[in-house]
Amino acid sequence: MLFAWMLILAFLAFIACMFEDLESDIGSQSNPNSQIQLAPEMGYIHRYFNKAISGEGLSYALSCTISGTIAMLILLQLESVGPKAAILAIPVGAAVGSLVHMVRSSVCHVGREAAHKRFEQPIYLDVLYGHLLPIATHNFLAVICITAIAYIQSNLGILSGVAGASNPFPLPLLCLIWGLTVGAIGSSTGDIHYGTERAFQDKPFGEGRRVVYHGQICRYADCGVRTSKDVAAFCAKYGGPATGLAFGLIVLFENWRTVIGMTLGGLAGPGWNPSLAAAWGIGIGIVIAVVLVILARTLEKWARNKYGPFVGE
Amino acid sequence: MGEEEVKQEEKEEKAKPKEEFKLSFDYFNESRLGIFALIIGILVAIFPGLPAFIKGIGMMIVFVWGADSVRKTARYGLGTGVPSIGVLAMGFGIIGGITGIAVASLSFGTLVVGGVEIAFGVLAGVALLALLGFVSGNLANGDKFINMKIPGLERGMTELGMAGTLAVLIETSIITGTYAITSVLPNVINNGVIAVIFIISAFGMLQPLNTCLGADERRGRTLLMSIEIGGIASIILGLVTTLTLSAVQGVPLIVLGAVVWVVFYRAYMKACMKEAYAVKGTGLIKTLGG
Repeated sequence: MLFAWMLILAFLAFIACMFEDLESDIGSQSNPNSQIQLAPEMGYIHRYFNKAISGEGLSYALSCTISGTIAMLILLQLESVGPKAAILAIPVGAAVGSLVHMVRSSVCHVGREAAHKRFEQPIYLDVLYGHLLPIATHNFLAVICITAIAYIQSNLGILSGVAGASNPFPLPLLCLIWGLTVGAIGSSTGDIHYGTERAFQDKPFGEGRRVVYHGQICRYADCGVRTSKDVAAFCAKYGGPATGLAFGLIVLFENWRTVIGMTLGGLAGPGWNPSLAAAWGIGIGIVIAVVLVILARTLEKWARNKYGPFVGE
Repeated sequence: MGEEEVKQEEKEEKAKPKEEFKLSFDYFNESRLGIFALIIGILVAIFPGLPAFIKGIGMMIVFVWGADSVRKTARYGLGTGVPSIGVLAMGFGIIGGITGIAVASLSFGTLVVGGVEIAFGVLAGVALLALLGFVSGNLANGDKFINMKIPGLERGMTELGMAGTLAVLIETSIITGTYAITSVLPNVINNGVIAVIFIISAFGMLQPLNTCLGADERRGRTLLMSIEIGGIASIILGLVTTLTLSAVQGVPLIVLGAVVWVVFYRAYMKACMKEAYAVKGTGLIKTLGG
């Protein structure tokens, strides 16, 4: 039963991070944002949505924590109903969280474009209005998954029937931690796909962008002028799922090694041995890390062989 | 319908003088705003018996001060470091807030004069963080240490420490109505409300500058947004307070938050639209060099 819940957590993490990455692409948040911000200063007037709430980690921490707090308040009010109250509490919490996120992103776009007055960057109202709904909906799906993960973790003991499996942290704090994590993974893994393949389409293999070309982003789509919504459609093919896979695997491996370690250590039964459990958990973790490093190295070698050496090597 | 329209017009008329007043933060330049917010913040923080919506106003003023300090520290081209500065402020704030609450719950930390609780102990947290902020600012900027050479970093860090601490203290006293550790632990820390206090105060301080960053950033516009986040914070804290204390404390705070949010969101959006190069319904982009 415990393993089944672990798999559900990993699956929810996969969906959460996929939508998180697509949502950040819609608003060009995080790393690509610096190029979107720089473009008007280099004379490249654009129609991208400039969503500079903060880094992805923090802005997801905000919406997830608000969602978690609201969900916790509803759960406290409906304590007599039992675990079924979560069916109401989690979506309502996530809705409030994504509403706040939408408000914050609407403020960002106008704020940053107004600060570009001397570079003659206008505020396009259709860009502003047209992006808010996709941002809110993608954000809602990410936040609802994160809140559900936090809820399952903090009630795992009751849900799986294994006493002592619940996370000691309260729901909002778990949401804060998971929000920070999902934002960080989405920023580090997903932005590469957007930044190098949509903002700069003619980049040579393996080369970093020279400072001279900073801000010279690709502003035209396959048909017409590109907006951030087109980027989401592009990234939904590979970038989003890859990011989701990264986060899902992290959650899966992390929980897997913990649970196996705990099981080998007796799992809070009469033969409970914490140091043995910790030793097994750490050992399995190191094995997983070594396997991943070897896999990554093999993949890199294969890519270099196939697509030629890096420019300048 | 007719009545509603009249009411809306009245609201607009009411909002306008406020907007004119708030749009020009000329009187409250950086030093005056700091002193004003420090005094108001301390006054609100040491009286935990005040009604929640008055504390809500105090919280917003502290947010504005924090945002102004972030702006002071980060406008010299810190760029992506702006959110970090805001989170740093709240890291300071959590340390100072816990210290202040701990000292205030000691026997000598809180005086009761004529039935009114005066928690002088929280000032210990504020003073500690002023010191800590000044030291860390000096460490980061000093010639012998990291030598970052950011003008005004020492002062900015000191103010950030104090503003963060005051924000945590005021929000804690909104939720619990007292600084007694027996009440703070279950109502703020054990149920995780501290997380929402942390993140939303951090946003009140970091988001204004991060969002308005650019060549034509204007202080008045930036600070408007800080109050707007204060409105959202008031609504959420009001919801929590309704559960921890009572609806008498929580509902006025929610109403205050909603009114403040509507007024300042409108004022901010109008200011941005007015000051932008142009506001277009739609249109193609200008070609390079054209």
